[in-house]
Amino acid sequence: MSTLHLVRQSAFATNDFAQCLSVLDHQDSIVLMDDGCYNLKHSLMDSLLKRVDGTININVITTHAQARAIETIATINHIDMADVVELTFNHKKVITWQ
Amino acid sequence: MTIIEQQTPAILPKESGLAIINSKAPFSSNHGKDALDVALIFGSFEQKVSLFFQGDGVYQLIANQDGRLVSIKDYLKTFSAFEFYDIEDIYACQQSLVNRQLNETFHINDVQVLTSIEFGKALNRHQHVLRF
Repeated sequence: MSTLHLVRQSAFATNDFAQCLSVLDHQDSIVLMDDGCYNLKHSLMDSLLKRVDGTININVITTHAQARAIETIATINHIDMADVVELTFNHKKVITWQ
Repeated sequence: MTIIEQQTPAILPKESGLAIINSKAPFSSNHGKDALDVALIFGSFEQKVSLFFQGDGVYQLIANQDGRLVSIKDYLKTFSAFEFYDIEDIYACQQSLVNRQLNETFHINDVQVLTSIEFGKALNRHQHVLRF
């Protein structure tokens, strides 16, 4: 019963990412897109990476991060929109956090 | 958009000009572009305009961004026209930069990074405030 979480808002401006993390399950995946890319630099992301230790699939859309001049981190996957479509098929449900 | 107006006391005419607060990230809404348009319009009528960047608004100042990657016409490039409109007072909130792990590398010159207290004081020197 896996869920794909599409995170589209900055955690510095809204509570969405925190709410997303509070319902996150083991087999879930996260995609950071649009302003969600800013969360790469948020302390919530640091604690998430420590907590899940590679068990949760975390992705960022490369062009969205690049457009915002955000340095990405090597420990997460860099994907494009075609990959997002594929992820939606590989998960039971999708939640958009926006 | 929130409008806060203050009556200038007759004895203390030290508050003057328009302050525009930018509080939104650049690419997911029109707020940044709208604020820019207002700033340039006031500038072209030779009104004193100061720009304040606070919260996610500081992302508008960061260097090496490229809106074309997300199919957005990059209005941030127009920021370099500020000097021609005599918009010289551009302030960024230091706390907002630190929280977002951003260094002070901006795509325009003459950005003054102010601590929260100085930022507030600079804002209070203005007669009118528009927040985007």
